[in-house]
Amino acid sequence: MAEIVFDKVSKVYEGGGHAAAVRELDLTIRDGEFVVLVGPSGCGKSTALRMIAGLEQITSGELRIGGTVANNLAPRERDIAMVFQSYALYPHLSVRDNMGFGLKVRGAPAAEIDRKVAETAALLELTDFLDRKPAKLSGGQRQRVAMGRALVRAPNAFLMDEPLSNLDARLRGQMRAEIARLQKMSAVTTVYVTHDQVEAMTMGDRVAVMSRGTIQQVDAPRALYDRPRNLFVASFIGTPPINLLRGTVVAEAGRPALKLGPWSLDLTGHRSARSLEPGRQVIAGIRPEAFRLAADGLPAVAAFIEDLGSTLLLHLESPEAEVVPTSAAERDAELDTVRPRLRVVVDGTAKTAVGERLRLACDPAALHLFDPATGEAL
Amino acid sequence: MSARAENLLGRRLALLAILLIFLLPVAWLLTTAWKQSSQIFSIPPTLYFTPSLDQFRSAFAFFDIWSLVKSSLIISVGSAVLSLLLGVPAGYALARSRSRLAVGTAYFFLAIRMIPAVAALIPFYLLMRDIGLLGTWWAVILINTMLNCAFVTWMMFSYFRALPPDMEEAALTDGCTQFGAFWRVAVPSARSGMIASALFCIMFAWNDFLFAMFLTRTDAKPISVALLTAYGTQDITWGTLGALAHFSTIPIVLMALVLNRYFVQGATNGVQ
Repeated sequence: MAEIVFDKVSKVYEGGGHAAAVRELDLTIRDGEFVVLVGPSGCGKSTALRMIAGLEQITSGELRIGGTVANNLAPRERDIAMVFQSYALYPHLSVRDNMGFGLKVRGAPAAEIDRKVAETAALLELTDFLDRKPAKLSGGQRQRVAMGRALVRAPNAFLMDEPLSNLDARLRGQMRAEIARLQKMSAVTTVYVTHDQVEAMTMGDRVAVMSRGTIQQVDAPRALYDRPRNLFVASFIGTPPINLLRGTVVAEAGRPALKLGPWSLDLTGHRSARSLEPGRQVIAGIRPEAFRLAADGLPAVAAFIEDLGSTLLLHLESPEAEVVPTSAAERDAELDTVRPRLRVVVDGTAKTAVGERLRLACDPAALHLFDPATGEAL
Repeated sequence: MSARAENLLGRRLALLAILLIFLLPVAWLLTTAWKQSSQIFSIPPTLYFTPSLDQFRSAFAFFDIWSLVKSSLIISVGSAVLSLLLGVPAGYALARSRSRLAVGTAYFFLAIRMIPAVAALIPFYLLMRDIGLLGTWWAVILINTMLNCAFVTWMMFSYFRALPPDMEEAALTDGCTQFGAFWRVAVPSARSGMIASALFCIMFAWNDFLFAMFLTRTDAKPISVALLTAYGTQDITWGTLGALAHFSTIPIVLMALVLNRYFVQGATNGVQ
């Protein structure tokens, strides 16, 4: 068990031009902590993980595992266990030998290997499959063997590289809870890489959101959701994604207010109110579930309704408000529609029909305000 | 009979006809050995004859067949083992190399296998003469190894390239050295590629005539060379030649039949 510290760690791939895969990463993962690295593909999260494992050379900066500088240590000298997206089970070995491989290579006595493999197999309900080859297992069983291979060793740290992305949705949900439970039980420092924000939000003690090789924010899942530090984090975290609207700060009867098209929201007492001088342009972020249908507010027309059972997801057109697309992917996808739509989640029992004129209101406290130039939260 | 069954029957018959054309020389060669000398050139050729062991008797009288087969085996298996020992690690190193030159280097190795045998033979002859290996099994084993290990390198390069590196990375984090990851994980995973490579090496060396002809003397002579000497002992003893050809053909055909799936894998590996 160990603390893992990134101290201004960078990685530049040879022949990869000037762009660094990871740029001056500063992150301390405390002993026993479960930290999730999350971000879109190519954000450097897997590279960061592989640098901990020793599978990627570090270009500059210092990586410390358990207080020791690990930059030039071979993977086997770091005593970490990694679970791969592909599971990377050894196809020529039985489940038993796959799980015992790390112990055997490190010269553990055969009796101890047998005992530990049996214990771990029982924990993961793999006892009946110990003599099978990986090819004869289902996807979920393979995933558990990959977990077992890591658990059996009681290493310094677990590293998991999108371990659930090859499972179907139902199994993924089960394993999410299972991995979180096993991690709490073993209390081994864990770094978990995923592009799935549901995994990030539900599993980690802390979540590091990465984009373009840098960390955007490290925080507890709740804090990421409630207090995103910038536009990237605000739009990456949350499903369906946050609504972003361009607005202007105004003074109405001496009180600060936010003007979104024809609609104005009183900002008195808002956490950002102090830094808001009248006339300032801002981008306002409003979560789909923060909106409510009201008698007075932002006018919008229901363009499309997704009935999710307990809730309705409304896609609304609001010609008078200036809606900003939340991500690059969305910007591309929106090219063929007239303009970005607002997303609003309402109770499943609400009576709404396509084409209906609605008015949206929201609690000013649920408003996130960002600087349009820097993208930073105000 | 339905149209579909007719179609199938037609195709089977066509296949059979093609097969017969290909098998005719082999059948001719083998039947030659089982005929009396007087029947070999009978016109028209006869397919009905009383089998006779005469040709085998004279083959055994003229040749030490077991020693010839032994030489062939030692040369082909020996060069296959050496080629694998050199070619498998080399192919692995190239496959896992991050250098941009790796692919080009691998194809360069393939090109080595394509150089004309005679061009390799002359310098090799002089080399073997100078180090005193001329006339021994070693001379033929080494020249076959030189050409075949280049082929094995290329073939294993494409095998290892197709193998995801995750398993070796898992082995590294599990506590293996780089060599340990290669030996304990990559090599067992590429087992079928290694078998296919070995089969091709054995086949090339077993069928080699030119190198063995020039680099061996009587006591190290393999069966491929002996076949030619049957041609000139007294007259052209076709029957003896046919009998001897049994011992040159049957082992390699058996190997191909029993392990044919590896041959197919090896032959199609580059195409995948």
